[in-house]
Amino acid sequence: MQELLAAYPGAQRALFRNYHIGGCASCGFRPEEKLSDVCARNEGLPLDEVLGKVRESHEQDEKVFISPSEAAEARRTGAARFLDIRTREEHEAVKIEGAELFSQDLIQQMMGGCPKDTLLIIFDHTGTRSLDAAAYFSGHGFENVRALKGGIDAWSVEADPSLPRYSVE
Amino acid sequence: MNMDDAIANPKNLGEMSGADAVGTAGSSDCGDMLRMWVKFRDEGGRRVIDKATFQSFGCQTAIAVAGIATEMIKGKTPEEALALSGTELSAPLGPLPPMKIHCAQLVEGALKNALAGVPSEPLSPSAPTLADSLQPPKKVTIKLHS
Repeated sequence: MQELLAAYPGAQRALFRNYHIGGCASCGFRPEEKLSDVCARNEGLPLDEVLGKVRESHEQDEKVFISPSEAAEARRTGAARFLDIRTREEHEAVKIEGAELFSQDLIQQMMGGCPKDTLLIIFDHTGTRSLDAAAYFSGHGFENVRALKGGIDAWSVEADPSLPRYSVE
Repeated sequence: MNMDDAIANPKNLGEMSGADAVGTAGSSDCGDMLRMWVKFRDEGGRRVIDKATFQSFGCQTAIAVAGIATEMIKGKTPEEALALSGTELSAPLGPLPPMKIHCAQLVEGALKNALAGVPSEPLSPSAPTLADSLQPPKKVTIKLHS
């Protein structure tokens, strides 16, 4: 699996989105396992089909991204729920108005009561972790999950220049 | 009860103050943790479970199973509750898909940990998971750019 993830960085997201594999420690896999073994212990998934999904992963990832300007439009119309997966310190220092800071309580509330077709826009600082978080929600049945391309840093530049950019030390 | 109802309206969700026993399975660090609180009462000289509550961070199926299980064990002695398997605890939801069986095992592990002090089975080491992306660094210092 280690080699697979090195060759296809989006493989883990594809596996969870499509088959609920690799989302958490319980449904995870070990780096030294082979994909064929992982398929075998997950209801005998067909290896060729799984490999096909992994190869499509890059294209799928691109579709998950939403640009800051598109996201700003969704925010203006009230169509989206913004989820902030940064630290509390970052959230309190610089935030998109109305965004909710991710927490254990929030995930419980969302898994239980949030309509699955809600537009969720997930963001971090620079867009490096949000695709994984988006795949986590997609794998739990959310149908309309997007990751803010470039994170809140790009949002500050493209959508709301009044928001200061920052660095983390 | 069907799975959608159990997920949308989980029973006994939340921390319990004054609990007689607390058990945990999994780890919040790896994004799949379930904690259970149990309160006993005396019933005709028998010590039985009065109520149980839980908190979960993980798959929604674990929330559904924990809600069902905490109802199921009410009125049972610790021994009777300990005899229940993950399959039995999740039975009212119908058979779980193979990929979701670990959710019921998580509930069983938390219950055993609470009632008998049995440490939950350590999870086998795995590659980084997607849930890790939801765990930001604990504390950072922010420097605003002018």
